[in-house]
Formats: sequence, structure tokens, C-alpha cells
Amino acid sequence: MIHLDDICKSFGNEDVLRSLNLHVKKGEMFVLLGASGCGKTTALSIIAGLEKEDSGDVYVDGTLMNGLPAEKREIGFVFQNNALFPHLNVHENVEFGLKARRMDNRGKVKRALEIVGLDGFDNKNPMKLSGGEQQRVALARTLVTEPRCILMDEPLSNLDAIVRERLRYEMKRIQKEIGITSIFVTHDQTEAMMLGDRIAVMNKGSIEESGTPEKIFYKPDKEFVARFIGMKNIFNGKIVSLDENEGVMNITTENFDLTAVFMPLDEGTHVKACIRPEEIILMKSNQKMSARNEIMGKIVSIFPNGVLMRIVVDVCGSSFSVDITRLAEHNMELKIGNDVVLTFKACSVHLIS
Amino acid sequence: MVEYVLFRQRLRSMYSGSSFYILFSLIAAIFFGFILSIIACLFTATSITEFIDEIRSPEIISSILISLETSFVVVILALFFGIPTAYFLATKQFRGSSILDTLIDIPIIFPPLVCGLAILIAFGGQGVFRHFEVLFTIKGIIIAQLFVASPFLIRSTRTAFESINPDTINAARTLGASEFYTFRKISLPLARNGIISGVVMTWSRALGEFGATAMVAGCIPYRTETMTIGIYMHAMSGNLGASVALSLFLVGFAFIMLIIFKSYGRYNDPSG
Repeated sequence: MIHLDDICKSFGNEDVLRSLNLHVKKGEMFVLLGASGCGKTTALSIIAGLEKEDSGDVYVDGTLMNGLPAEKREIGFVFQNNALFPHLNVHENVEFGLKARRMDNRGKVKRALEIVGLDGFDNKNPMKLSGGEQQRVALARTLVTEPRCILMDEPLSNLDAIVRERLRYEMKRIQKEIGITSIFVTHDQTEAMMLGDRIAVMNKGSIEESGTPEKIFYKPDKEFVARFIGMKNIFNGKIVSLDENEGVMNITTENFDLTAVFMPLDEGTHVKACIRPEEIILMKSNQKMSARNEIMGKIVSIFPNGVLMRIVVDVCGSSFSVDITRLAEHNMELKIGNDVVLTFKACSVHLIS
Repeated sequence: MVEYVLFRQRLRSMYSGSSFYILFSLIAAIFFGFILSIIACLFTATSITEFIDEIRSPEIISSILISLETSFVVVILALFFGIPTAYFLATKQFRGSSILDTLIDIPIIFPPLVCGLAILIAFGGQGVFRHFEVLFTIKGIIIAQLFVASPFLIRSTRTAFESINPDTINAARTLGASEFYTFRKISLPLARNGIISGVVMTWSRALGEFGATAMVAGCIPYRTETMTIGIYMHAMSGNLGASVALSLFLVGFAFIMLIIFKSYGRYNDPSG
């Protein structure tokens, strides 16, 4: 549906997009995830025709878009700051695109406002609405023109947490209801995970990796992606032995050994072993567990990490981050300097070769 | 904004009563007293009957009409040339745009007499525009006033265009609006207050223009005598009454226009 072929773009001496390739399927919600300054917004602007690419091709629905002005592309855009027209009321804002395109607008504005849950807001001044409501108006204004696809540039990032979460659900619902192909740009992992049918992680102007949320968050192929989505524990290692009967393989790193699920790799292969902080169980004494991996270490720091507590454990010079609940931390009476045992299953070890 | 007001309030309560504060308010009071007494002299120099007598003289009526006519045409021309220029300067960054920017300000910085002299040369016997024959005519007055006054409209309008969020314009484009449609329906309405204050400044400047106008159009009664030229001529020929009457009319007119435009701008403020 949306194809970007080798898009390059630079502003002055700065290369913002370096050979960006992207393929978005019809009807899917595609999330572009990346840190600020990685070129996400520029990519959207080029698809929409608001910026001109230096080289490369943009196809939408099989049609080459290069050189076509924004108003002829029929691509919806929802801006981070909502970009509503402050001198027009809600009805006039939503109606704007219909009038500009000389489209029939009987009942369409009302229906669009119903879809976003703002029925009866017609005569309100958009500047006096809440941030969430403003973004709903912006969405209605875009949807009403029935664009081929819709591009959303961090539409939720200026909202407070509660509104953001609710609107996130609604955006997903509306997108599925209408079945409109969408690209959603964000730097928020939770948002990407929740919204995306597929996710692409962007870095320095090109796509590092794309795939389902499951793939990106639990089995990334690239170390950059693993780090970006919060795999805090990444260790360089080497496969020392394979045990096909048991379905496992043994890996040695600089300071400790690991057991991972069997993969068709040769002995001696260098790998990066990744373990998510929440997949590790932390105990003070050595209890019998079924988990394959058991590592001893000493606590070096304890601090809150969102709703969880992050415990950093030193294992012979390597640093492990473990996330446990506040209650667990309290019950175990963990102190800096305590000796602890870290256990995790072989299938919690993800290998990047 | 709230913080600023609070800051001002705190500053005020901090300084009131100190000798520093008293000294500075005294200096300010002397200055205001000076200005107010000068303005008061203008109002007390005539009586209502004298004012009405003077204002009804054919020469004064003619100068009022010439001033109103020329300044009105100047505002229309300034809008026609100024709005596209302002939009261009506000939205395009290119090599030399700062030079253009300075060029716009030159008529503001130059003494009006010098502007007038430049126009006189340009349209005079050997000038590039000599075939237009505008010297000592109404057209000459219009050109002189336009040259001196239009930069005010351009500056104010340009600032208004610059303060529009580019995403608002982009949003209109992605919704299918052409550049012309976007300009008409979004940029112009959003810049309206800036344009209105630009019109007020340009108009009052055109009405008050003296140096350049006198240079280009001369001071021919009934033909090129504007209100300001009339004020000067009558004062110099000893007819102070006519001079004062014209001045009061000019000041009163400008003041009323200012109030009308200000309230018009406020009641229709798009940001509510």
C-alpha cells in the first residue's frame, strides 16, 4: 500500500534519511518507533508531500507520488500539536477538507464527529477543548475526507498519561473499524507495542528492523533494537556445546555461563545473549528451581523503575538489571551488598548471532 | 503571562516607598506633565466657534479631502503590494533575504525629506520614471506617502504571518487545500489582527506625512495641499487659527480611527 524505495533526505550537511525502505500493507497499523531526531517525522512529511525527497520513490496504492503536491495526494496527516484552525469552530474545522476538495458533505461531518466521540461539539471553539478532545477533532477532520491512508506524527505525546492511554485504545478501535492503512510515529515503546500490527525501529535515518510487536520486543535480530526496547542485559558470549537431546546449548561469557534453547548454530559461534530484566527471578537464598540458569551475584544498587523496582546485581564484574515488584523488594528486605541468586529459564535467553 | 504579572506585582511592592522609587516616579511625572501641557496648549488655542469657522473654509475642506483621498488610496495600494511581500518574507528563507528585509526598513529609517528627494529625482527630468509625470500632482502625493508608510504594514503583517504555526498550513494542504485556498482561508484570517494594526499605522503615517509629500508634490492650495501641508503653510503665514483647527481635526480623526480598528480587532480575535 505504502512503499518507500531508497528515500534519502538531508538538511544542509545533516543526512536525516539514509536510504529508507518501508513497506506498509493495506489496512494495517504500522508503527515507526525511534528516538527523537531519527528521521521519523521527516519520513512522514515526505510521504505526505510536505517535504521533498532528495532521491528515492514514494508509492501509495501503486501510484508514484514524487512531485505531486500535498493537496493532490489524498493522504491524511495528524500532527503532534493537532494543528487545528483556531479561527474556525469544531464543525468548520472538520468541514474544511470537504470544502477544499469540493466534496459532498451532507451528514459527513456529523458522522465523523460521532466516530471520534465528539457528537454535538460542532459550535465549540477548538482552542477551548482539552488536549485529548483537540486530537479527536484533528482525527475527525482527517478521516472525513476519506484519505487513502493516514499518517500520525506522535499524536498522543503531548497528552497526559490517563488521556493518552484512553485515546490510544480508541485510535486502535477506530483504525480497525474503518480499516484504514495507517503509519503511526512514536518514541514510546508501550504505545508501539499496543498499537502496532507491525513495528519498524528507526535509527539514524533508516530502518534497523521491522516485524510484529512480539518479534521486535522479545526476539529482535539487532543489538540496537534489543537495547532500544529495553533489554538491559546483553552479554557477548560464545557457544561452547550443543545438546540436541535436551534441546539446549551452553554459552560462556566473560564472567559466567548460560544455557539457552537449542538453535541450529555451530559450536564456537559468537553470539550476544539478551535477557529481559523482568524475566529474571531474584532470591536471597539458593532454593531449588526448575530454571536452567542460576547465577550468584551481589546487589550494587536499588532504585524505582516506573511501577517496578530495578535491582542492579554485579556478577563477577558483569552487571545484571532485574525488575521485581515493590512488594517483593520489600518482603525480601533487599539491601545493597546482599548476596543474591538470579535464576531464569533457558527460553528467556534470546540470542543475537 | 501569569508569572510575568506576578513578577511585576512583586517588583511594585518591593520598590514602593523607597527613595529610589520616589525619585524615578518624580522624573516620570515631570516628563508626562511636559507632554500633557503641550497637548493641552493645542486644545486651548482655539474656541469651538473659531474651530467651526476655520474648518468650513474651502481651502481647509479641500486639504482634508485631499488627505483622506490620498491616504485611502495609499492603504489600498499598501495592502495590495504589502501582503504578498510580507508573506514572501515570512515564509521564504534564502540567500539575501536579510538584505531584502533591511530594504523594507529603509523608508522607516531614512528622513522623509530624503525619501522625498529620492522620489523627486526618480520622477524628475532625468529620472528613470520621468514619463509618469507625477510631480506636483495627487499621484505624487500618493507615491510619496506609499513609499514612506507601506513598510509599517509590511512589518506588522509579516510578523503576523510568521507567528502562524507551519503545521496549521501543512494541515490545510494535506486536507486538499491548494496554496491559494490555504492562504485565503487560513493564513489571511489568522494574520488579520497584524494586518489591521498595519493598516492603522500605515494610514496614520500617510495622514501625518509631511516631508516627502512637500518635496514631491509641492504646496499648491486646492491641488496638492494635504492637511499636514496646510498646517505648516497656515502656521508660517501667521494664520494660526486655521493651523490649529486642521491639527485638531487630524488628531481627532486619527484617534477615532484607532478606536474603531482596535475594537474591531479585539471583538473578532480568532483565539477568543
